Amino acid sequence: MENIVCNGCSLLCDDVSAEVASKTVNSLGLCRLGHTHLETAVKHKVSSKDKDLEKAAEILANAEKPLLFGWAHVTDEAIKEGIELASTLDGHFASIADFGPRSAMSHNIHAKGLEIDLEYVRNNGEFIIYWGSDPSESLHRHPSRFAVLPRGEKIPEGIESRTIGVVDVRQTETMKMANHRLVIPVGTDAELLDTIISEIEGKSAIKDKVLGIPGGELIGFVNGFQKSDCTVIFYGSGLINSGNHDANLTRIAKLVEVLRKKEKEAYALPMFVQSNTMGIIKNKQGVGSLQEIANGEYDISLIVGDDALANLPGPLAKALAKTKIVYVGTPGGLTDKRAEVSIHTTDAIIAGVGTMTRVDMNEVQFKKWKASKDDDTTRDILSKLRELIRMKKS
Amino acid sequence: MEYTENQSNSNFKEQMFNYYGDKTVKLNPMEIYNLLPKTNCKLCEPKTCMAFATKLALGDISPDDCPPLLESGFEKNLEKLREMVAPMLSAEATGIKLDEDKCTGCNNCVVVCPVDVAAEPPTAEGKAAMSTETVFRVENGVSKIINLEKCRRFPPDRLNCRVCEQYCCTDAIEIW
Repeated sequence: MENIVCNGCSLLCDDVSAEVASKTVNSLGLCRLGHTHLETAVKHKVSSKDKDLEKAAEILANAEKPLLFGWAHVTDEAIKEGIELASTLDGHFASIADFGPRSAMSHNIHAKGLEIDLEYVRNNGEFIIYWGSDPSESLHRHPSRFAVLPRGEKIPEGIESRTIGVVDVRQTETMKMANHRLVIPVGTDAELLDTIISEIEGKSAIKDKVLGIPGGELIGFVNGFQKSDCTVIFYGSGLINSGNHDANLTRIAKLVEVLRKKEKEAYALPMFVQSNTMGIIKNKQGVGSLQEIANGEYDISLIVGDDALANLPGPLAKALAKTKIVYVGTPGGLTDKRAEVSIHTTDAIIAGVGTMTRVDMNEVQFKKWKASKDDDTTRDILSKLRELIRMKKS
Repeated sequence: MEYTENQSNSNFKEQMFNYYGDKTVKLNPMEIYNLLPKTNCKLCEPKTCMAFATKLALGDISPDDCPPLLESGFEKNLEKLREMVAPMLSAEATGIKLDEDKCTGCNNCVVVCPVDVAAEPPTAEGKAAMSTETVFRVENGVSKIINLEKCRRFPPDRLNCRVCEQYCCTDAIEIW
């Protein structure tokens, strides 16, 4: 067994190991998501062909209005190469991060960046709240590695030293670990946050049931904030993709501010799931818009490291499907199948080179191991493609 | 990601075989009671034969704790009772089930298990278990019980510890 870095999700676990023996993949520490991802990556047969590169370059060089989309599952280096390529093509660089994550990271709540990382949460986080996020489904090891169960410098007893709250629109598996479980109607997050803020400010806002939550239960939840010296709110897609993301994040920011005025530590951290959403946000500034895609304004799409046709909402996927698609990424999926030209690349977990950016903005370097094959990385293919396009354009 | 049904089902069956096998230890107190002298002699700590049978079914006492049972005339009953409770003294007699079909490999059981933390201290800080000394270890994406005999529910501790079950979000771990 050798140490590897897993890119099955945005936690980028680096305390895991794996081996490939007689085409069988064995792993230690990888969650089910990570192990399945590794097994799939090991089975990929990757070989880029010059004629495919040539054809892809031809299509892109002749594009009137090209779109460069994807990026959530490729390395920081590949993203940088993609931004250069977008510049060469005078194309539009967009990604799945433009659905919520980018606007969340541009919100005032993160005006000073993320302020803390997950190691800080492990060592200091007393009151942990998952708001509109369910790590049991998407970031399996988040509670055990960082936020709920581990012991830390100021958390000597692990879970016994913490209080856990979960707020969601349905019962979630994460709620099983929680001391406070609040199920609220869809779209009422801001209202609940206003009530909590008022109560903390001493306005006795809770008289009876609030949004179906018994008053006593909600007061117990509010007491959690008041007793804790370090509160961390992990907000997820339930909060930023519910149509009220700006109002919701503004209230979360206010809650953090109110707690800090009471000389308590408080932070809000995102729970983006795709492995390198933060890499996109870090390397490509500004708020993106996907409206032009839905309007069908692009003639050619270069889709990199994402099965966009399978993952995007219907109207966007349909609009993308009407463009001529060049796909660069790991084999398989609807986008690969639908593409005019597909160039298959090695997944970063196998390549063992490059970096990705963890959900808390910490960079994680991939590790080489025996199964590593670092030819045909996405970065290298994009670099070759850019060179070919540059030659054609000149 | 998609999980193949065949893969997870076969793993599940394997785990069931390993940890249950044919050594199911759910004992029926009435069945035990019928093998006792039924004298309510008050010579044992539970004082009555029914209470003794219940404690024996839970593994809290041994057949040898019943003085009349050691007297002549009860040899066959004593032998039968010893056979019935024998699996409780072995590693297989745990009363813990890990359903790999439900397990997501979240490592919660590894990090929360006091035995694992003592055997491999980095697990206390949330690290994955790498050694062969822990009770739980996540292998190939799902948790496995690799040292059942170290579980604190076993002799000599016999503690009613249920933390792994309590913090298993998907109810993959079941203790009775």
